[in-house]
Amino acid sequence: MSAAVRGLVAALLADAGDGGWPAGVPRRLDGLLAAMPARTRHGFRAAAAAVDAYAAARTGRRLDRLGPGERERVLAGLAARPALLPLLDVVKVPVLLAAGTERLLAEPPRAAAPPAPQDPPLDCVPAGEWPDRSRADAVVVGSGAGGAMAARTLARAGLRVVVLEEGRRHTTAEFGRRAPLDRFAELYRDGGATVALGSPPMVVPTGRAVGGTTVVNSGTCYRTPDRVLARWREEYGLGDLADPVAFGAYLDEVERTLRVARQPRDVLGRNGTLALLGADGLGWRAAPLRRNAPGCRGSCQCVVGCPSGAKQSVQLSVLPQACAAGARIVTGAHVRRVLTEPDRPGGPRACGVAVRRPDGSELEILAPLVVVAAGALRTPPLLRRSGLGGHPRTGRNLAVHPATSVAGRFAEPVADGGPAVLQSVGVEELHEDGILVEATAPPPGMGSFVLPGVGRELRAELEDSGRLATLGAMIADRPGGRVLGREGALLRYDLDPRDGRRLLRAVRAMGDLLFAAGAEEVLTGVPAAPRARTRREFAAALEGVTARKLHLSAFHPTGTVALGADPQVAPADPTGRLRGVHGVLIADASALPSCPEVNPQLSIMALALAVGEGAVRAAG
Amino acid sequence: MSAARGTVFAETMTGTVRLRGEDRERPVRLELTARSEDLLLPHRTTAALVTGRLRVAGRADTAVTGTLEVSPLARRRIHYRLECELDGERCLLEGWKSVTPRRPLASMTTLPFTLTAGDGPEPAGTGTLRFRTATSLAPFLASFRFPRRDDPRAQWAPRWDGTAGRTEVWYTTATDPATGTGLWLHHELVAPADGSPAFAHGWAAVFPPQGKGPVEHARFGPLPWGPAKGAGGFTADGVEAVPGRLRGTAGGLSWDLTEDAGGERPLYTFPRWSWRHPLLPAAQIVPSPRARYTGTVRHGTSELALRAAPGASARIYGHGNARRWAWLHADLGDGDVLEVVAAVSTRPGLDRLPPLVFLRLRKDGRDWPRGGLRPALGRAGLGRFTADIGLPRWTVTGRAGGRRIAVRVDQPAERTLALDYADPDGSPAVCRNSETADAHVVLERRGRGGWRTEAQWTLAGTAHAEVGDR
Repeated sequence: MSAAVRGLVAALLADAGDGGWPAGVPRRLDGLLAAMPARTRHGFRAAAAAVDAYAAARTGRRLDRLGPGERERVLAGLAARPALLPLLDVVKVPVLLAAGTERLLAEPPRAAAPPAPQDPPLDCVPAGEWPDRSRADAVVVGSGAGGAMAARTLARAGLRVVVLEEGRRHTTAEFGRRAPLDRFAELYRDGGATVALGSPPMVVPTGRAVGGTTVVNSGTCYRTPDRVLARWREEYGLGDLADPVAFGAYLDEVERTLRVARQPRDVLGRNGTLALLGADGLGWRAAPLRRNAPGCRGSCQCVVGCPSGAKQSVQLSVLPQACAAGARIVTGAHVRRVLTEPDRPGGPRACGVAVRRPDGSELEILAPLVVVAAGALRTPPLLRRSGLGGHPRTGRNLAVHPATSVAGRFAEPVADGGPAVLQSVGVEELHEDGILVEATAPPPGMGSFVLPGVGRELRAELEDSGRLATLGAMIADRPGGRVLGREGALLRYDLDPRDGRRLLRAVRAMGDLLFAAGAEEVLTGVPAAPRARTRREFAAALEGVTARKLHLSAFHPTGTVALGADPQVAPADPTGRLRGVHGVLIADASALPSCPEVNPQLSIMALALAVGEGAVRAAG
Repeated sequence: MSAARGTVFAETMTGTVRLRGEDRERPVRLELTARSEDLLLPHRTTAALVTGRLRVAGRADTAVTGTLEVSPLARRRIHYRLECELDGERCLLEGWKSVTPRRPLASMTTLPFTLTAGDGPEPAGTGTLRFRTATSLAPFLASFRFPRRDDPRAQWAPRWDGTAGRTEVWYTTATDPATGTGLWLHHELVAPADGSPAFAHGWAAVFPPQGKGPVEHARFGPLPWGPAKGAGGFTADGVEAVPGRLRGTAGGLSWDLTEDAGGERPLYTFPRWSWRHPLLPAAQIVPSPRARYTGTVRHGTSELALRAAPGASARIYGHGNARRWAWLHADLGDGDVLEVVAAVSTRPGLDRLPPLVFLRLRKDGRDWPRGGLRPALGRAGLGRFTADIGLPRWTVTGRAGGRRIAVRVDQPAERTLALDYADPDGSPAVCRNSETADAHVVLERRGRGGWRTEAQWTLAGTAHAEVGDR
């Protein structure tokens, strides 16, 4: 840990060196940075060094040698420059993450949770123990929503299926044992710091574990809206696949598997109740969300793995069924290439995969069917590495749900230590306009909401964060992104001006909701005007603000190897077969032709089920 | 795609294997011979059949058979699939070299493999074999052969082009492995030298084992020769000798047999060119040198049921019989076969020469001597193979390419059938044939300490031989 980083943490958190939870933040931050990609790590350290240099130039001493008052003045000097505020916000994100965890640990422990239930059995083999050479009937790359469903479908059809997963298996018991941040760094790709470059840059968190992103999503289960299915049929030629009855049956099957039901109000938590109250005050449509978490105990830790085993992520629901049908899962397996046989009569044919183990050695599995389900961000680079990314639209058409959040301060504690569902209530009043507001209260520091201020102001916000209710809004975008690169995924996403307007409208709507629920103050998330005590102030704070000034995240990347009837436009055909090669199926979020406008887990799984069953039927 | 030539090579790899339930690695050695119908071209995918031996120290020393797919550029893979036996259980050894341009040598010489047995998900063992360039490269390269690919079926088609004064023979000999009975089926087309119409005739003969009883034989024909029907071969009035099928009736003898050529390529006793371009007075080849015959032969009141009886089908085309000749077909077992023709021509001048020997030994899949005329002509006349033709014993000896061979054939009179032959010009000859002859063959190889016996075969009553003269 460099002195610059130590100094920056102390300055941001107004740590007077008097012990308490801030003392542990630098060490925890160090652990978090180690999990992040090198460019993020170096970027953070460079920012810390720059602040340190500024302090040295201004005071003659480095930041960690200064007293609390001097540090406060140095940061205030920086924060006075509006151009630097967004940059400071970026630097604050990992610090707040580490600080949130340390604060949580410092709090008196909640009532001891009942012991975690035993997870259903999975046939997981670490890549190091898998033979160098093996054979299967089908290989599924990725064990997330799409891969798990495809694996179960193929295994039940009698195929010998091997699922390859880059991450490892995390058990419910382990989630119950470890601190949220420790899980966070391991469960997310790039330590959660995957960034889409563009204007504005956005963080696109995706999971990496047996179960994929379903391990770390909030469990919200929306069926694919009919208007989206209609668009898929009419604009993308998916007449058979997106047939409302047929796709509806697939969605039913997925819902049965995941035991989807409306979240009961007993453990909803204050955050959700306030959202309902606000919607009620405005006369807006709102209800607890449908979720795949029967018996949810309100641990409010969905995004770092459910510690009570209630959330039916695919590693607790679909994958055990796949394993019961004979599928095997290889963990720690990074698929280097899809192997092809270019000299086959009738054109090139996939014949298996080459896999790199964590120790750098390689293994290969031959299989006549390769299902690529590495996620919308990882599937295009894999295809390119394999020489299968020749279609000009591979990696394009990246759709995400740009999202932002707004917090409201209430007189009573919101996070009162009682049970609460992380993403509890959906406000669908504006859904037809592409705006979905969801009451979301993640563990401290892990949400997309960044507390305002630096130094003492930030510290005070942190200490008082128990009275904050958070709403998040995601909007249906015009696909405007690209996944570049072969080895790693380089994301490029430019926000469409229409989507920017939608985001601002969403912020206003969330402000209205919070005030209607009785918020004393709304934290806008706009660095230049962070607080508003009335609706008028709130409207004034948003005056002249563009979406670029908001702190944005992006969720649910989809569409990078889209299915479609037009060979010029879609890299994969309407049955999920990748064009230009035999034996490769696309069965993950990348196959979705356009933004699903809702949390996409059910859509992805239903599509993977359809693609898998189509392949089984075609094979006879 | 069919190529004119195939590929044969041998490869030896060593390495280690860790078997299921064991905590240590065992040395392992794999010796393979690969045979492909196609020419091995690096940019193509070549499939080959392999046979060989797998040795796992302390656990197994077993024969392996399987397939090999060589595709270093197109599929970047050299894929081995071998069946073997481990502790009495059938086992599959599968692995492939995954060729990468980043590490061409290492990737082309490293073969990770998995042993699987039964249906369980866990492999019976995993390991890695390596091709050691220091010790194995030279023998590997030296082992490459590109044998010409011959379809034996094509050699059954009639050669006769309508020229007068030609004779063409399809003949089959076999030994019943159950009883030791010998069988001789002879189908002959004769185009008389005087221009009269060609006719077909022939005979069948059954040789009781060890001369216990007289040799039974019966002739068929002469029959008018019509254009051959079917797949090509000898077809005349119910008597048929075509690829895969032999049937007919001659007097009290009738036969109906199927032939399984076993995928063996033809054996050219005479040089291949002499069969294609009939420049020599006559030439003989063996389209099915190691065939197996199944079916029935009825003679008189008894019936001989053959099941996979070893034998051979051969062809002769030329001007007529030699002045003096001897012939031997010996199935030596284990895939080895010996064919000898020693003959003195009827041509003026040539008839004063000692017998010219045409000898081909197919051992371990390779034919020796390599040159087709080497035994007959030697090197500019020196070092020819010699034959001492006589009865009941005749011998052939010769030396070529660091090896020498001594063949001794015994045709006791009681096991021999004497038949009158007639050339296209009408001149007679007598043939003394036995399909229950004895033979003794010694093959020696020259090493540092002089000649050492490489192989020795004794055939008691299973050699097929004849001696003819005028």
